[in-house]
This record gives sequence, structure tokens and C-alpha cells, in this order.
Amino acid sequence: MYDADVIVIGSGGGGAVAAKELGELGLKVLVLEAGPFYGNSKWRNPNAERGSEWSSSFDDLDIGTYKKIYSRYENDMNDVVSGAFRFGPADRSRTPWHRVMRQKGDIWQLAGVGGTTQHYWAQSPRAFPSAVDGVWPISYSELIPYYEKAEATLPVQFAPTTPKEELFYYGAKKAGWSLLPTLDVTTPGYRPNPNAILRTNERLMDPNYSMEQLNNMEGCTLQGHCVNGCTSGPSVDKIAKRGTLVSYIPLALKTGNVAIRPNSFTIKIITDRDPKEGLRAAGVRFRDTWTGEVGELTARAVVMAAGCIESPRLWFNSELPYNYWVGRGLTNHCFDWVGGVFDEKDLMSIMGLPAVYPYMGHTSGARVDIPGIGIFQVSCLSPGLMSFLTYGFSEAGYDALNPPEPGAPWNVRGRTVGPALKELMMNYSRTMTYLLLTDDETLARNRVEVDPILKDENGPIPVVHYMPSAKTLQRRDRLARYACETLKLAGAKTIIRSDTPFSFMLHLESTMRMGHVVDTNCEAYQVKRLFIADNSVHYNGIGGPNPTLTTQALATRTSEKLAQRYFS
Amino acid sequence: MNPAVSFPANAYSYTIATFRALAEAIVPFTPSMAEYGAEQTAGAVQLHVHEYIIWELDHSLTLAVGFYPEVVPLAYSTAALLNSGASQMVASVNAQFAPSNGTVPHVPFAALSPADRVRTLSRLERLEVDLRALPPPFRNDGGLVKFIVDYLNRAVMFGNYSEWPAYGTTRLETPTRRRLEGFPVGWKQAGYPGVSLGYRALRGYPLTIIREDGGYTIV
Ligand SMILES: Cc1cc2nc3c(=O)[nH]c(=O)nc-3n(C[C@H](O)[C@H](O)[C@H](O)COP(=O)(O)OP(=O)(O)OC[C@H]3O[C@@H](n4cnc5c(N)ncnc54)[C@H](O)[C@@H]3O)c2cc1C
Ligand code: SF4
Repeated sequence: MYDADVIVIGSGGGGAVAAKELGELGLKVLVLEAGPFYGNSKWRNPNAERGSEWSSSFDDLDIGTYKKIYSRYENDMNDVVSGAFRFGPADRSRTPWHRVMRQKGDIWQLAGVGGTTQHYWAQSPRAFPSAVDGVWPISYSELIPYYEKAEATLPVQFAPTTPKEELFYYGAKKAGWSLLPTLDVTTPGYRPNPNAILRTNERLMDPNYSMEQLNNMEGCTLQGHCVNGCTSGPSVDKIAKRGTLVSYIPLALKTGNVAIRPNSFTIKIITDRDPKEGLRAAGVRFRDTWTGEVGELTARAVVMAAGCIESPRLWFNSELPYNYWVGRGLTNHCFDWVGGVFDEKDLMSIMGLPAVYPYMGHTSGARVDIPGIGIFQVSCLSPGLMSFLTYGFSEAGYDALNPPEPGAPWNVRGRTVGPALKELMMNYSRTMTYLLLTDDETLARNRVEVDPILKDENGPIPVVHYMPSAKTLQRRDRLARYACETLKLAGAKTIIRSDTPFSFMLHLESTMRMGHVVDTNCEAYQVKRLFIADNSVHYNGIGGPNPTLTTQALATRTSEKLAQRYFS
Repeated sequence: MNPAVSFPANAYSYTIATFRALAEAIVPFTPSMAEYGAEQTAGAVQLHVHEYIIWELDHSLTLAVGFYPEVVPLAYSTAALLNSGASQMVASVNAQFAPSNGTVPHVPFAALSPADRVRTLSRLERLEVDLRALPPPFRNDGGLVKFIVDYLNRAVMFGNYSEWPAYGTTRLETPTRRRLEGFPVGWKQAGYPGVSLGYRALRGYPLTIIREDGGYTIV
């Protein structure tokens, strides 16, 4: 009677986890994903041809196709308009899917199997306990077993040291931060990032192995392309950086209970009214992004994991019951970005090396955690991305038109253009950059809505509003001061604070909050059998730590609760 | 670099002249930097980055107008935004004109000195302009103006310092048909060695998680 036990909408950070966990529990699962399936023999030219409809076998995974698409070239991969990593249809001759944002910023989300974890940096810290206990409707200790399961599955390991981490630790120690050998952070300090990245290949330093050989073996080769798409590994399921395309999706397919349909944009959640249960989810309507054909599938339960923008959009466009909190409470860690340019002689005396080598090693390998304020983490990118994040993207305007006051902890604040930009960019290999994640206060006014007039082929399009609170901005400023202090103590000669636009959206969370839209099992209060398993169910921004591991722990827990409630 | 595949100059001269002026103001041609290496002189115009901006703006938005989705090109209207900003600035403050740019009539943005183009961008993003006088879709939409002006800065940088210019004669093709024709100049300027298969750069592990018997320890 039903097409499946459960339909999962979206296969990113959260959806892929739900698919694998439900499949392992023996349920029949169909996954609908809006974007392409890279690394699958059923779609050998996924950006130019429609290919097949479904994949349901582990043997479909194909490392050749994967490495062909994952070129590691930053414009080819990361361009938000035309890149392989964008929120848009698989067909790259078409435009991306639009969201309205009437402020400076950019939204970096990805359509495709693996979702935004295809270019995430795999940092997998737990929430700060102080941001959960007494704040969330569930306790931190309730999350711990699920954290442990997700950490073991990905798996999560502390990052290795490469030159940039060595320099980061040098500055952090000088500033008085102490090492935190823990996954549960209750006091400030520094530590290597707990990353969902396989251990460095044991043969990496052995010159008898060529780089080609190492790249086709298991283990990270420190190739520095986490953000551009990691290619180290002998098969799709053994790629070093553990986005869900290479971790949870292969495991889901291995269960034999999961089928995945990419290129399928869900446009409506279908409901019916049961005399006992009331309004409940019964299936979905979706649109094939190549042909425009519309199909329907039915199931006993639906898991929505379309991400923090599309999940509320789908709620609105499905005309599900009114709830003030749908789409509201958006947090984003109100990023900032700072950089330090070093002299060669200082680097020689600290590390015995002439450069920072920002292109080697994990994109982000080390952090200082400050519960109550946030995190700063060393994060270094390829030059196109680095140039615009460091010098071209700012809430503060142009540095030259509004230079920092004397005594400020930074020499440059805001954009640098003209000859000065070119001179700074010549020092790229001696520049170390940090990403700052703020403990972002949750506000109802920060929200996702749908536009009353504008539509695309999938219905009314989302509008995103985000303006941080005064408290968030104070914390962000303190964080920038701490971060610039460590750069200075490490010996940086020029310090740049970009003052990143508030709406640079990478860590979107909490638009379908637990306790408001979903209950503690992540089932919607107003629509039975509809569960949510993406970043949107977080009650807040978890204090600043990177959000995905918490989503994965919750998706593991939600799958267990769903199976208990409706399938035991 | 590859003039054969540039946009036809006449059809787009207004748009091209505007975005050339933008690219030049953000990543200029700097002959004086030849002492650091010949590649350091090229600016965004020499790398055709203005064409990148035009391509991106014209391939970024589809809306369902009526029943069918249609691509909404944005390059021309964005050029008109910059020119409107420039005219408004000239009318309200003493702007400096670029001495050599008499060749682009009706393109007030390009007629300004590079520093005054940056001032124009700054006034636009601070909304120190008459929003009613801006061209659609920017008219009376300050949020969209802020977004796009900020975007223009970072897009020039991403175009210049990514591998895009090295797609050479294929750079304006649909992305799946672009092919690299050399090593990207922006990467040379930055001293980036190019994409890699790996680096022998391991310098140790401060901490390690060891999982056994269903639990874990940190050493
Ligand atoms: C550059 C970058 C670096 C990052 N680094 C980190 C990091 O190191 N650590 C960390 O924790 N987080 C990081 N993040 C954030 C991380 O990517 C997100 O937290 C995570 O991917 C969120 O998971 P999600 O399931 O909520 O959404 P997504 O991963 O975005 O998945 C949503 C999926 O749903 C699909 N979808 C959307 N709408 C529909 C629809 N209507 N029908 C069908 N499918 C649909 C999308 O195509 C997508 O595949 C980073 C993000 C970026 C951009
Ligand atoms: S450093 Fe390189 S090999 Fe390691 S995970 Fe990142 S991209 Fe992959």
C-alpha cells in the first residue's frame, strides 16, 4: 500500500544519517535529493545528462566518476553560481536556485547527495555543554551516547599538525591558552580540531611511495582540499574527508534497505487526517529537476532534512499548520575572519620553515574554544577563496576610506583593493587566516520566510533575514581581539580583520527548533509522522561549535525514536 | 589574452566598459610590480575578469514569470547601478576623473579615477544615494544594493585569484565544457603551487582518540 516505510527528504549532514540508521533498523527507506549524485556509475555525466533515476546498491559507487568531478580546482568546484558545489540543479548550464537576501552576505549550501558536507571542513566538535544543559529541552548527557556513535561511525579523530597548526599552537600558548584534551569542553583552551577525517596515511612521509600511489590509498594525504573536495582514497567509501557522501551514504546503501533518487526536488509534503492521530504525513510530491515531471510517493513516516532554509520553505509551501516558530530563531555563528602576514625570518626561527603553507593539511586543524563567547580556528584556503574572504568581503566597507583607530589590535579592517591588495596577496603563502564562530544569541526576528510574489519552478522562494543582537556582536568583537592577540604574539607583522558580513551563512541552525516546532523526539507537534533531522531542530547555535556532529547525533537518536514509535 | 572569444565589443560596450572599470579599480595593472616578477603586473582586466563578472551576473537568477521559469540577466542592470551611483557622486562631490578614459562616453563610472570608483561603491553600499533614482531592480531596494556591491568586490577577487582566467578560450563556455589552457596567473601571483595530490607535511599529533571496547580514551 505504501511505497516505503520512511521517505527522507535531503541527503546532507542529517538526512544521510537518518537513511543509514533507519535502514540498519530494517526499515525500507527512500531518499529524495534535489541535487546530483557524484561518484555513482548510474550518473557518469551528472552535470550534463539526466542519467538513471534510482541507486540502491553499494556497488553503484564509482571512484572514477567521483575523482573526475572532484577536480579540486576552486572555481570549478566552489563557485556558488556555476560550480560543482552549489545550491542548484545538477545541470550546470542552468542557474542556481535563488534565495532572497537583502543584505551583505552569501549562503553556502550545497545540493547533491552529501549536501553541504561535500565542501564542509569536517570539524566535528560536540556542543558546549553549557549551551545545552538547562537551555535545550533535552540534556547534554542525553546526547552523549549518540555523539559517541556518530564519532565512531564517521570516524572523528584529532587533526594532525602541519606548519599552520604549529604556528597556531605557538601563538595560542604564548597567549596563555592551555591544551584541552577532551571532547566535552567546559573551560577555555586550545586543542586540535576533532575532525571527521581519516588518520594521515602512515606511508605519507615515506619517499618510496609516490603521491599518485598515496592518493589512491586509504588515509589523508594532507592535500589541503577539504573545502574544494577531498580526493584521497581508494574507493568512494574510503575517501579521507568524511562528508556524508562518502561515510553515511555508502553505509546506507550497504543495508540493502535504502534507495536514493537524486535530481528530485520535493515540493510538497502530503498529509492525511487519521481519526486517532489527527493530521499526519503520508508522503511527498516531487519534481524531477531534468524533466520537470512531478511524481508522488507514499510512506508511513517522512523525515525532512532539507536544511535550515528549505525545511521551513517546504513547510510553508506544503501549507502545513501555522506555527509562529516555523522558520524563526535562525542562528549563524555570526562569523568573522582575521589574518596575519608573517615575515620569512620569523617563520624560520619559529618553525625552521620559510612559509605558513596555507594550502597544506586539513583546511582547518586547530582551535581555541571559549565557552560563553565562541571559537577561533585556523582555517586556510586556496587563493581565490582566501583573497575574497580576507580582503573582499566586509560589513565595514573599505579600509582605506575608514582606517582603524591607532592602538586597535588589527592594522586593516574591511576591504583592501588596488595595488595594496596585490601586495598583500603576494604574501599569500606567509599568511595565516582564522575563522571565528560566535556564540550567537537566538532571536525570533532572524528567520526564513517565503516570498509573497517571487517563485521558481519549485514554488515560492525563500527569503532570509539575519541581524545579530548587540550581545552577539560584543562576543564577536571579543573573539576578534583574542584571535588577533594570538596572531600578534606569534609574530604577525600585518593583522587583518575582515569584519565579515553577518549574513555569511555556513552554519545555519535552529529554524525549526526543538520545543517549538518539534518535540524532544524531533517529531513535528502539529503533523504526526513528520520528523526533522537537519540543523534546523537545534534549539540554539550550540554555543559556537561547528554544528554538524550535533545534527548527526540527533538524527541517530531521531531514527531510533521514530522506529520505536511507529515500527516496533 | 584571448581576444578571439571576448564578448563582441559593440553589443556590450556599455556593460563591458563598466565592468572593466570595476575590475581595474579592485585588482589594477601594476607595471611597477615587475620587480617582483613579470606575472605580478597583470591586473583583473588583463585576465578578463570583467567577463567573468558579466557571465556570473547573467547566469545567476531564474524566476518563474507567469508559468515558465526564465533566466533574469543582471549584468546590464548592475552596470547601470554603478553608472547611476557615479553620476550621483559627481553631482554631489568633487570627483576626480580618470585622465585617459575619454573613450567611454555615457559610462560615468568608467570616467572616474579608480579611487573615485571605489568611493562610488562605498557610497552605494552605505546607501548614500537617492534610491529612487537607481535603475530596476535596485530602485528603492537598499538591501539588494548592499548585497550586490559587496558581491562585486569579492567576485573580482575570486575571478582573479582562482583558476578561471586559465580556462582561456573556453572561459565563457558552460562550466562543464571549460578546459584549462595553462597555469592560472592569479595562482602564480599568490605563490600557490596548484592543486595537489598530497603534501609530506606531517609534524605530529598533539592528541589522539583511541576507541576500544565500545568506549574511548584520549592520549
Ligand atoms: C564551506 C563550509 C564549511 C563547513 N565546515 C563545517 C565543519 O567543518 N563542521 C561542521 O560541523 N559544519 C561545517 N559546515 C556546515 C555544514 O555543512 C552543515 O552544518 C551541514 O551540512 C548541515 O546539514 P543539513 O542536513 O542541515 O543540511 P545540508 O547538508 O545542506 O543538506 C540538505 C540537503 O537537502 C537537499 N534538499 C534541500 N531541499 C530539498 C528538497 N526540497 N527536496 C529534496 N532535497 C532537498 C539539499 O540539496 C541538501 O543536499 C560548513 C559549511 C560550509 C558551507
Ligand atoms: S587534507 Fe586533503 S586528503 Fe586530507 S581530508 Fe583534506 S582534502 Fe582530504
